[in-house]
Amino acid sequence: MDYLRNFFVNLARSWTAWIGGFLPDWGVNLVNYLVVGIILVLMPVIATLTLTWMERKVIGRIQNRIGPNRVGPWGIFQAFADAVKMLIKEDIVPSGADKPVFNLAPILIAGAAALLWAVVPFGRGMIGQNLNIGALYVVAVGSITTIAVIMAGWSSNNKFALLGAFRVVAQLLSYEIPMVLSIATVVLVTGTMRMGDIVERQVAPFIVVLPVAFITYLLAAAAETGRAPFDLLEADSEIVAGYFVEYSGLKFGWFYIAEYGNLFAIAAITTTLFLGGWRGPFVSVAPALGPFYFVIKSVAVIFVLMWIRGTWPRFRIDQMLAFAWKVLVPASLANLLWSAIVLQIGRQPEQLGPTIVQMILLLVGNVAILAVTGLLLGRAARRYAAQHGWAGA
Amino acid sequence: MTAETIATAQATAAASHPYNEVVPGAVLEATKTGLVVSPDRIVELARYLRDEQGYDYCSMVTSIDWPQYFEVVYYLYGAATPKDALVLRVRLTDKANPVMPSLTSVWRGADFQEREVYDLMGVRFEGHPNLRRILLWEGFEGHPLRKDYKEPYFEEESKPFKSRHPDGAHQWAEDRVPWKDNVSYPVGWDPDLWRSPEVQYRRIMGVDEATGNGDGLRTERILVNMGPQHPSTHGVFRMVIAVEGENVVGLEPEMGYLHRCHEKIGERNTYIMNIAFTDRLDYVSSMSNNLGYVLAVEKLMGLQVPERAEYIRVIMAELTRIISHLIAVGFLFNDLGAYFTPALYGMRERELILDLFEAAAGSRMMCNYMRFGGVMADLPAGWVERARNLVWNRLPKVMEDFENLLSGNEIFQSRTHGVGVLTAAEAINYSMSGPMLRASGVPYDVRRAEPYSIYDRFEFDVCSRPEGDVWARFRVRMDEIYQSLRILKQALDGLPEGPIMPPGKKQYQVRVPAGEAYARIEGPKGELGFFVVSDGKPNPYRYHVRAPTFINLTSLEKMTLGHKIADAVVILGAVDIVLGEVDR
Amino acid sequence: MFLFVVFALIALAAAVGVITSRKPVYSALFLLLNFATLAALYIMVEAQFLAAVQIIVYAGAVIVLFLFVVMLIGGGELDDIGGRNKKFLARLTWPRGIALVLGLGLLVAVGYGLLSGQLMTATNDAAAFGQGSVQAIAAVLYTDYALPFELASILLLVGMIGAVALAQPPKKD
Repeated sequence: MDYLRNFFVNLARSWTAWIGGFLPDWGVNLVNYLVVGIILVLMPVIATLTLTWMERKVIGRIQNRIGPNRVGPWGIFQAFADAVKMLIKEDIVPSGADKPVFNLAPILIAGAAALLWAVVPFGRGMIGQNLNIGALYVVAVGSITTIAVIMAGWSSNNKFALLGAFRVVAQLLSYEIPMVLSIATVVLVTGTMRMGDIVERQVAPFIVVLPVAFITYLLAAAAETGRAPFDLLEADSEIVAGYFVEYSGLKFGWFYIAEYGNLFAIAAITTTLFLGGWRGPFVSVAPALGPFYFVIKSVAVIFVLMWIRGTWPRFRIDQMLAFAWKVLVPASLANLLWSAIVLQIGRQPEQLGPTIVQMILLLVGNVAILAVTGLLLGRAARRYAAQHGWAGA
Repeated sequence: MTAETIATAQATAAASHPYNEVVPGAVLEATKTGLVVSPDRIVELARYLRDEQGYDYCSMVTSIDWPQYFEVVYYLYGAATPKDALVLRVRLTDKANPVMPSLTSVWRGADFQEREVYDLMGVRFEGHPNLRRILLWEGFEGHPLRKDYKEPYFEEESKPFKSRHPDGAHQWAEDRVPWKDNVSYPVGWDPDLWRSPEVQYRRIMGVDEATGNGDGLRTERILVNMGPQHPSTHGVFRMVIAVEGENVVGLEPEMGYLHRCHEKIGERNTYIMNIAFTDRLDYVSSMSNNLGYVLAVEKLMGLQVPERAEYIRVIMAELTRIISHLIAVGFLFNDLGAYFTPALYGMRERELILDLFEAAAGSRMMCNYMRFGGVMADLPAGWVERARNLVWNRLPKVMEDFENLLSGNEIFQSRTHGVGVLTAAEAINYSMSGPMLRASGVPYDVRRAEPYSIYDRFEFDVCSRPEGDVWARFRVRMDEIYQSLRILKQALDGLPEGPIMPPGKKQYQVRVPAGEAYARIEGPKGELGFFVVSDGKPNPYRYHVRAPTFINLTSLEKMTLGHKIADAVVILGAVDIVLGEVDR
Repeated sequence: MFLFVVFALIALAAAVGVITSRKPVYSALFLLLNFATLAALYIMVEAQFLAAVQIIVYAGAVIVLFLFVVMLIGGGELDDIGGRNKKFLARLTWPRGIALVLGLGLLVAVGYGLLSGQLMTATNDAAAFGQGSVQAIAAVLYTDYALPFELASILLLVGMIGAVALAQPPKKD
């Protein structure tokens, strides 16, 4: 029973003890690093295999369809069939392409997707590296994706890819700012950038304390990873597939893996920052429950993103940029300011995480910001409609 | 000659025609089938007709190859204030080099149609801004609608052809024709060296004009080919777009990838064979196509359609309109990036209606259901109940879902308001028709303006909106579904018992007296017209389709300029094209 | 130490790559590699915050802008202004001359700094970065260097306003 309570930690201990029996110390370290590294790299692949199936099923149900149901029970092996198909496809490099850059881009983007997993806390102590700048690390790794996408778009020597790359620059740079601001709010409130500690200090999930930051982060993260309704980078009805239109076979597969790896990663980071991570009932009794709570919460976030994809049309580029700069940035700036003020009220030395009073004040401020934003948006829409004489807008 | 008798029938003293007092020498002859106009004065006369007489709508342009001359035919109507048809006919006696002035300066809607006449008939229009081939490619030799045109692997003048298996063995077409494989190219043309002609896009690329935004900042235009392989062009349609950044600064539609010269095929088919071919025009709404064609031929034959058949026809046509609009709305959302969900919801209802079609006609998409004088088969038992259930119970609920889920969506609204605006005057001048015209604030509906079949018996509103943007087009289509349901309720209630074909033996070969007829219906996508010229033989002498989506595309450039690439796709989606009809 | 040598060598190779690449895009990508190795070096001296900022600012923003500009003006190979066959002095056009003088000046300055030991003093402060590098940097930035920090902010604000003014569509009268 005791073994089960700390299942994963004990598992790691006994594994170390077992290989320690026939390996020197440095060998044990090397093997452990290798195992952790392999797990991290495999994460995006596993995420892709499960999430593609899930996305197809979810969107299928949304669209009155059954979704995949031929390969395996409930079609769960569909993703493997797709993977095999992708592996045996011909690898085409367009004749006008810049080959080194063209080949480097998928590696870089998949690498960035894998790196993101290093700071995701699956449970207490179950984190690749509890970096003291974990939150910043997330942003830093995300910015590498931008470069990979530009490289892919430029090197393909295709106009649709280039247009996709143009959009990438505008979109990713713009949405990085609200994303950083909303992360900064969480960092401010918890007083730490370590992802593990953020969870530890999240007595109440921040989604109920900082709803503005949560919404901003989710939208900005959806834009950063090119999910609907911000999927302008690959907008298949406009620029076909955008930056990776010329890729095929395994290289295309890497983009796919990066997309779903990033999807799971942003869901995991949302869970960490706003949904209380691995916290949940009975975790203090049985820490092994933590990872399950974590995955369940992440999947819930992913489901919301898939739901949005299945139902909403896409923004236009100017509307999307205006949304980032005129709505998300002011709202999250106001939120950051309010959080800073609140945290100075009744501040105790050596305080870890917000007190109850502070949390209530934060919530009040957030609700006020939401209300003001909604009010201003509605008024702007009506004014705009009145200017152009549209009815019913 | 038959042709002569048609043309000169009931000629009046042309000199005394009232139009000649304004534009002297314009009307050469006034026949029963229209005014024969001098090519030299036609532009003046057209301008006068548009500005003073209210013929602001150039509905159809076509041409006929008579033995002595080429005849170019313009069908004019009034759209702002409905007027009956006025037909202008221009006879070009120089058969070696037929030239006439273009009327695009008067009606922009003549643009694509004159290009089509040039392409297929070889009549040159002087002053046309962009007289290139439109349906055929540059390497095509000859003009296929001319009577002396012999296509490669030509079989015979007209159907029914002789057997391809004369002695039980197949014989290749090229072995039977005397000139064998006569594929030929224009002089100086090498198919192997052919490249996409960039030169023809100089206009939209602005090569000849200085580009810049007024600040002295020069921006470079990029030519982007949207299509023919593109997920949002609704088929093999190609938009050549010049962009500065994301902004569209030039657009050139390229079509004809699906061209099979439907009209030439129609001239070789017998009349009754053609019905099946009309199914393939706008393959989403085959029933409407059938209806338009049989109406044209019935006009020539002077047939009386039994009451029950009329009602069935109206029911089928309105069901078709619902299908077409559901698909148009659904795929508009697809173009907006809504990932197929609305489209599939529309498809689900379409399946139910197609079930009804299958029960009545035996086929789901290619119904081939109408016949001259009636319909092919009576409705099976229980059909009306199923239709009633659909019309009274199911579809209104579905429409409610659509309204709740789609119309209020903020992203959808912000994407469609003010996008692709056409004013009422522009829409009329560009010969827009159907929902495109009505969304620009012109309440013009053929069912009202010139009722055909039994549409004058039904109560319904002509849906129209003033905005003229994509939102208005969406709204008009949604509203028209409600009106179709209204008509369907009345028609299903009033459906009488009785025969479905006129009395007499079933005819496999109809006899159509010599003459000319133009029948137009309000198809789901716009004004669908069928122009049939008969010389008394089993095959039509000339057969022309006024394809609404083809002509609606004329304004695509006008609507798209100044918008973003993403909007170009949406505007095209709101035109609701079907390439089977555009390319014919 | 072993890792330091590896990263230092990569950084040097990347730096050489920046100036020897004939395609501007390759130069930008080598610069990215250089920045990335620098970030790795920062991590090795326990300055994770600097490393993250290095990646965010340089890789995330500066290189992206470089790449964007290069894409817009066309990323073809650079023309060899003087031609490869000509003698060194003949190829020395005035921009290259200025670049040569400035580069030599920089080298001299770095050499002087190394020899006189002024650059070495920084290593003694490495502990200041230490584990609490975020707090340490923040403390220094908002107390000792508050004025330069605010001045830099104003500079950025001016840049932002300027960009907005430039991007305004021309007024229609």
